Amino acid sequence: MKRFSLAIFMFLIFVSSGFAQSVEEIVKKANLVAYYAGNSGQSDVVMTITDSQGRQRTREFRILRLNVKEGAEQKFYVYFKRPTDVERMVYMVWKNIGKDDDRWLYLPALDLVKRIAASDKRSSFAGSHFVYEDVSGRGVTADTHELLGEEGNLYKLKNTPKEAKGVDFAYYFVWIDKGNFLPMKAEYYNASGKLLRTVEALDVKDVQGHPTAMKSKAVDIERKGETIIDFTNVVYDAGLDDSIFTERYLRQPPTQWIK
Amino acid sequence: MKRVIFVFIFILMLPVAAQASFSGLHGFIENDIGIKLSDDTTKRDNYNMFEQRLQLKTNYYAQGENVWARKSTVINFRGDFTVDEYYGGKTDFELRELNLSLSPFRWMDLKLGRQVLTWGTGDYLFINDMFPKDYESFFIGRDDEYLKKPSDAIKASFYPKLANIDFIVIPYFTPNTIATGDRLSFFDSFQGGIAGTNSDRQIISPPFQMSNNEYTLRAYRNFGSNEVAFYYFHGFDKNPRSYKDEAHRQLYYEPVDVYGASLQGPFAKGIGNVEFGYIRSRDDANGTNRTVENSWLKLMTGYSKDLGNDLKIGFQYLVEERLNQGAYDDNLMPSDYRWDEFRHLVTNRITKLFKNQTVNVTLFTFYSPSDKDGYVRPSVSYDVTDQWKVTIGANLPWGEDDQTEFGQMKHNKNVYLRVKYSF
Repeated sequence: MKRFSLAIFMFLIFVSSGFAQSVEEIVKKANLVAYYAGNSGQSDVVMTITDSQGRQRTREFRILRLNVKEGAEQKFYVYFKRPTDVERMVYMVWKNIGKDDDRWLYLPALDLVKRIAASDKRSSFAGSHFVYEDVSGRGVTADTHELLGEEGNLYKLKNTPKEAKGVDFAYYFVWIDKGNFLPMKAEYYNASGKLLRTVEALDVKDVQGHPTAMKSKAVDIERKGETIIDFTNVVYDAGLDDSIFTERYLRQPPTQWIK
Repeated sequence: MKRVIFVFIFILMLPVAAQASFSGLHGFIENDIGIKLSDDTTKRDNYNMFEQRLQLKTNYYAQGENVWARKSTVINFRGDFTVDEYYGGKTDFELRELNLSLSPFRWMDLKLGRQVLTWGTGDYLFINDMFPKDYESFFIGRDDEYLKKPSDAIKASFYPKLANIDFIVIPYFTPNTIATGDRLSFFDSFQGGIAGTNSDRQIISPPFQMSNNEYTLRAYRNFGSNEVAFYYFHGFDKNPRSYKDEAHRQLYYEPVDVYGASLQGPFAKGIGNVEFGYIRSRDDANGTNRTVENSWLKLMTGYSKDLGNDLKIGFQYLVEERLNQGAYDDNLMPSDYRWDEFRHLVTNRITKLFKNQTVNVTLFTFYSPSDKDGYVRPSVSYDVTDQWKVTIGANLPWGEDDQTEFGQMKHNKNVYLRVKYSF
């Protein structure tokens, strides 16, 4: 009997520790899985933007990413291929922690490298229904996190911004895969509890051991319209180095990385 | 001779093109019309822009196991076919880019041929960017792309640890395109006021010879998020500001050296920049020659900020000082026009995007309290689809006097419409 109760006790500890995987732990892991897979990554991206009247636009680009420090600073290089009027345009971001990101835009027709002021991370990414933070990650310390429970194979978290200023929502829920910690879905609400926007992973594949969202969708419920992102040619750790993320390669695209 | 250089570059490109991957042919077709809002004595009174344009562009990337591919060689081409109704349907071809770009070493890039060149930190203001510009396009309302004119140049970029260095040789002088009276009226001192087709001045370009090569250099590096750059230019003013032969109404591009520096980086939740330049007039270094432009000191500072919700603002302040103003004043003749020692200019840009960033509303304003003139450039563009884009805008220069930079343009006010189809 004593032995039996010990077993139950052990079992309870095991279950609760499993369950009570600290919420901060979950958020931290999810952030790494979603935004820091490998030391570097590259992908071809097609964004299909559908507006409230059903009209479609597409953006095609190659994205290169380098982790400067895991879970912290990163560099991004986005080389636009379509539509024609933005062809060869490059957008580069040095993601900083604790201060504004550094952003550059290269306009090929003018050979102009433009430093861009970019304190607003909630604005649309390239005219889509994704915002900058969906693409480069929202700081894990920007919100307070609360584990609401589990739904099937998913953790459900509620996240409330510590700083309400400059944020277009009051709180959001995130569903995170319990097995691989990939965030599968997010729902953004306003203060009166009205759903504003959802972001969802539609197709997840294993690429070089990293769970990778190959297709994602953002829906603007308030103003209508949605964007689907398709990722192809995803490669991790292909040997990208720091020198790519400089003005040199804004003006002269690194041919081996953008073909 | 210019042709010889092109043939040479073309021959250089042949082996690359032979084994290359072709990016496809893209470009756009557009129609531009700019209705004039004020009368003057230019060729036409009803409009100052009415043209069709076909731009084609392509890139060849060298491929395979050859030296060109290993050196990341690319051939870039961009050219515009135009039909200009302003000149009775005159057709033209403008080669905007034909160059060979490659990285012969890990620490070096080369770009040879016709190319558009830009550097510096200003927004529509240029101190150390001495590359040619097309102010006619700017004032009639062509796309911003046409503010920059291409140069025939050799550009070598070096990337040692200490700093990045761009060194450019421009063997063939390209001046700015400015008002000549045909399409845009302007202040012509020979005519004693704002002139149109009656302007008959002659502008002399420096002849094509080794000693007239232009050289320019930029050394730049980042310190954290800040970028520091130093500039040097040896060549000619891109505007004809000096007299070659007054009696024959001849102007020329006086030779200048420019020494400058700039700093750009995050500042007060936005981006700040400072740039200065010392322009030394080689033909009139002490300012005593009344027919040749003096040396100048120029300083500008700017700030831009993202206010959120796709609303951005920017401000700039520029001050220009003519050096040796005393010598300039002492040597003026009673009949000469006199320009002030200082010119102050402020600018403001407001940009707001709507409808998933498909609608762009921009207002750019120049205002000079010292010259009592200014220039307002509002525009609204709409990306109807990924292919179709419609832009309407206006160019509204004004000024109390006739001889100031924007005041002389005051009869060229227009509103324009552009419809563009990209493919």
